[in-house]
Amino acid sequence: PLGLASSLPPSFLLKCLEQVRKIQADGAQLQERLCATHKLCHPEELVLLGHSLGISQAPLGSCSSQALELTNCLSQLHSGLFLYQRLLQALAGISPEITPTLDLLQLDVADFATNVWQQLEDLGVTLTGPPTQSPMPTFISAFQRRAGGVLVGSNLQSFLELAYRALRYLAQP
Amino acid sequence: ECGHISLSDPIIHLGGPVTASCTIGQNCRHLKLQSEILWKLESEFQPGGRQQHLPDGSLESTITLPHLNHTQAHLSCYLRWGNSLQILDQTELQAGYPPPKPYNLFCLMNLTINSLICQWEPGPDSHLPTNYTLKSFQSRGNCQTQEKPIPDCIPAAGQSHCSIPRKYLLLYQNIGIRVQAENKLGTSLSPQLCFAPMDLVKLEPPILKALAPRPEGDPAQPGCLWLHWHSQNSTLFIKQKCELRYQPHLAEVSWALVAPLPSRILRHELCGLLPATAYILQLRCIRSPLPGHWSDWSPSVELNTTEQ
Repeated sequence: PLGLASSLPPSFLLKCLEQVRKIQADGAQLQERLCATHKLCHPEELVLLGHSLGISQAPLGSCSSQALELTNCLSQLHSGLFLYQRLLQALAGISPEITPTLDLLQLDVADFATNVWQQLEDLGVTLTGPPTQSPMPTFISAFQRRAGGVLVGSNLQSFLELAYRALRYLAQP
Repeated sequence: ECGHISLSDPIIHLGGPVTASCTIGQNCRHLKLQSEILWKLESEFQPGGRQQHLPDGSLESTITLPHLNHTQAHLSCYLRWGNSLQILDQTELQAGYPPPKPYNLFCLMNLTINSLICQWEPGPDSHLPTNYTLKSFQSRGNCQTQEKPIPDCIPAAGQSHCSIPRKYLLLYQNIGIRVQAENKLGTSLSPQLCFAPMDLVKLEPPILKALAPRPEGDPAQPGCLWLHWHSQNSTLFIKQKCELRYQPHLAEVSWALVAPLPSRILRHELCGLLPATAYILQLRCIRSPLPGHWSDWSPSVELNTTEQ
């Protein structure tokens, strides 16, 4: 991987990989709970609703292997995590059975975002402030909030899969 | 109220001096009390009371006990009344020491209950009611500067451990933490620890199970056992290493150890053992290569090795 990866503390990438796996496990549990509790098991059935609710996906193009540039990738990773942190916050009140799982997922995403943000600062990357804040969806019913949970969870898993590949590539000795 | 004891301070350093005054008010004069005020500490008279009439006509005696060696004692003020002694007031003295520095502060991150559990040694008894508080803050570097305070963790009464819930923690960022002890004679602080909670993760014990000898029917090698194990689902996201220990059952033989081992294995063959012998086996795991604490040993599995 790129020389810049050598400027990262050795444990940073290992911790990031661990955090991604933890968030993926939290996310899978959220999806399991939404499926078991509310019979919302197939994100592909919610694409139309997702468009109408304006649930966006976070880009991670700077982390794809063709164009991988360390600070751009970490910055985009942070922006994406920040977006998902806000999306998860917007799901507050989803349902009593799901709330504990959602809270833990949100904590872990925030934890990872902080870790990446602080590493960027340590690399001397001057970040102007929290990433641009796209408008959050507003859910007008319990169903929309739960459907939103399925979509956000699914998008987050895809985002994390890309992030994991990039981090593992960077972590190669 | 006829007589009243007042103290410089009801809480005294054990072995230190205490000064008290007993004042007999005007409203007691009609009882024709002889005017000598006497002092008792528990049941012993204490000489040395200095008596005087105050401008308002009341009578006051002041006494200094040079060394109070009771952790708790009753100090009483008496007056003679006819042939008897009348107790007019009593106060309870409490003596002790400033709180010693708590020590051996030790923390573990428990992912099952999602809390950072810290425990400490309170140190010798100060003989005074002492409150302990776990004080912590989030920090960027090595905890020299405070980034964000974390609410104080107050242990249950008499306990020397406290749990900080996950919502106050950033698992991968440093936290500065120390224990404060406080009683009426002062405050003391333990040395500070600085760590990322995740680096003190203690995993749940793995699940170790026996497997039947090789099913394909080829004669099982003597002195072998077959096992499989995996770590708890809640910790699958953590890269770990494990170690297996075993010993013949009922034999005064020390444990043999096999390490390092992966945290999940479908079939592990352990050979080189005594044939036709009962063995006890246990497994434990630790986060690796990132730092962590060893899990407890798994519950024992007892297995018999194959015959000769």
